[in-house]
Amino acid sequence: MRIALVDSLAARAAALAMGTVLLLGVTGTAEAQNSAVRAAYKVPRTPDGLPDLQGIWQVRDTTAAFDVQDHAGALGIPPGRSIVVQPADGKIPYKPEALAKRQENFKNRDAADTLNKCYMPGVPRITYIDFPFQIFETPKYTLIAYEYIHNYRTIFTNGTGHLDGLDWWNGDSRGHWDGDSLVVDVTDFNDQTWFDASGDFHSDKLHVVERYTRTGPDTLQYEASIEDPEVFSGPWKISIPLYRHTEPNFRVLEYECQAYADEAAKGGGR
Amino acid sequence: MTSNRVAGFLFAMALLPLAIVPSMAQPPAPAAGPGGSANAPAARGNGGQPAFFGGPPHVPGGPVQHLADGHPDMQGFWNSANNGGAVFELQNHPDGRRPFFGPGKGAIVEPADGFIPYTADAKAKAADLFQNHLADEPELHCYESGVPKQMYVQFGFQIFQPANYMVITWEFMHAYRIIPTDGRPHIPSNIKLFMGDSVGHWEGNTLVVDTTNLSDRTWYDTVGNFHSDAEHVVERFTPVDSTTVKYEAIVDDSKVLTKPFKMEMDLNKTVDPKYEQMEFGCIEGNQDVKHYTKDKGGAADIKLK
Repeated sequence: MRIALVDSLAARAAALAMGTVLLLGVTGTAEAQNSAVRAAYKVPRTPDGLPDLQGIWQVRDTTAAFDVQDHAGALGIPPGRSIVVQPADGKIPYKPEALAKRQENFKNRDAADTLNKCYMPGVPRITYIDFPFQIFETPKYTLIAYEYIHNYRTIFTNGTGHLDGLDWWNGDSRGHWDGDSLVVDVTDFNDQTWFDASGDFHSDKLHVVERYTRTGPDTLQYEASIEDPEVFSGPWKISIPLYRHTEPNFRVLEYECQAYADEAAKGGGR
Repeated sequence: MTSNRVAGFLFAMALLPLAIVPSMAQPPAPAAGPGGSANAPAARGNGGQPAFFGGPPHVPGGPVQHLADGHPDMQGFWNSANNGGAVFELQNHPDGRRPFFGPGKGAIVEPADGFIPYTADAKAKAADLFQNHLADEPELHCYESGVPKQMYVQFGFQIFQPANYMVITWEFMHAYRIIPTDGRPHIPSNIKLFMGDSVGHWEGNTLVVDTTNLSDRTWYDTVGNFHSDAEHVVERFTPVDSTTVKYEAIVDDSKVLTKPFKMEMDLNKTVDPKYEQMEFGCIEGNQDVKHYTKDKGGAADIKLK
C-alpha cells in the first residue's frame, strides 16, 4: 500500500513523538486510576436502548497494521509492541510449517501483500489500518463504514446465522449484544488477506470473534479472538484501543486506493 | 463458488456488451449458491435485482410506516426500477445505441424531451467519449458510481436510519453514502469525492438531500454522459407506500449544462425476507478492462463487425 504508507509514516512520526510524552507521565498509580475510571463508566444508550458505540473511531497505535507482534523497525515497517494479549508471550502460536511460511511472506511482502493491490483488507486488519471508520447502530444491524476503499461491514444482530460456502475478503459477520459489548462472529473468509504488512497470515478456516466495548466517552476497546486449525497450534487474541474523533468538523471521507494507483500509473494525481 | 466471482460475472454480463458483444445485454442469471443447504446463498433468491434485470415484479405495499422519531421508515433492502433503461443511458435514447442496446426513454422528465441540456462543447465531448473512450467508463475501473448514478446501478442497496442519519450501502462496488440530517454544513469545496458530500433534511415525509463536492470522475451512465466537478444534486426521497419510494433528483452543473435537468425513478423494496446483500469484489478480480477494444480506448485487439 505504497500511497497509504507514505501518509501513515508521516502520521506515525507525529504519533511517536506524542507517545513518548505520554509514556513519561504514566505511573502505576495512574494506571490504577484509569481502570477505576473505566469501571465507573456507564456506557450511554442509543434511542433504541442499545449500548451506544456510535461515532468515528481510529487506532492510535499505528504500528499494529505493520506487524501485530513485537518487532523492531525494518524498511517500510516502523517498530512497535505486540497487540497479541494471548498467549501471554505476545507471539502468534504458529504451527512450525506455518511459521516458515510467515517468514517467506515477510521477505516477499511488497508483492505478496494483497493490500498493496488495493484489495479489501480482511478482518481484523481492517480495524487497525490507520484510517477512521464510523459505527452506526439500528436494532437489527450494526453498520461499520470504513474510509479505506469505501469498505463497509453489515453486522447482522437480528439472530440470523452465517451463510454457508462463501469465501469473502471481509468475511460474514453475525453479532449479538453481550451486556455493554458488541460480540461479532466472523467466518466465511478467503485465504488471501493478512493480519498485517509483515506476512502474518491465515487460511480460509479462519474464525474471528470480535468484541467491541466502550470504555469511556472517547475510547473503545477492540478485542479479537482468532483461531485457524490449519495455521495455528491454538487460539490467540489481540486487543487494541480505538479512539473517538472529537473534532467537530471530522468526517469519514474517501481513500480510493485503486483510483489513485490508476492516476499514478498515468503520471497524474496529486 | 465465491460470491465475488458471481458478482464479478454479473458485472461483466452487464458491461461487456457495450464493447464487444453486438446485442442487447441479457438479464443475468440469478446468483446460484453451492446448493443443498438452507443457508446457501441461493436461499436469498434474486430479490435484489429489479424486474428490469430479471428480478421479481414489484408489489405495491401497505401504508407508509414511521419510526419512533416520527420520520417515515425506509429501512430495508431496495432496488431501483431503472425506468427507461437509465442504467445504460440516463437520457432519452429513441434509437438506442446500436449495437449495444435498444431504444429507451431514460429517466429525465425535465426538459420534457428527456435529453441532458448540454452546452454545445459538452455535447461534443459526450459524443467523443462514446465513440472513442468507452474504456474510460468509470465503473469498468471499479470506481464508485457517483450521484445520482449510484441510485440506479444494477444491484440492490440497503437503507439504514440510525438517529440523525440516513445511510445507504450498495452491493455494487460496496459503495456507501452517509447522509447526516443534523443540519451540518458541507465540507470545503476543494475536497472532491466520488460520492460527494451529502447533507439531508426532512420536509414532512420527504428526505431532501443536497450533494456537492462531487469529482468529475464519474459518468451518469455507461455511454459517456458526463458531468464536471461543479455538479450539484438535490434529491428527494418520498415514500409512496411501504414498498415504494419516489426518487427525484435535480442536477445542475454550470460547466456542462445550459440549465438543470430533473430525473425521476421508483425505488422498490425487496420483500423476500431471506434476501441479504453479498460481498462484491471488483478490483479483486476485475477482468473487464482488458476486454475493451482499441477503438474504444482499450487494449483488446478485436474488430467489431
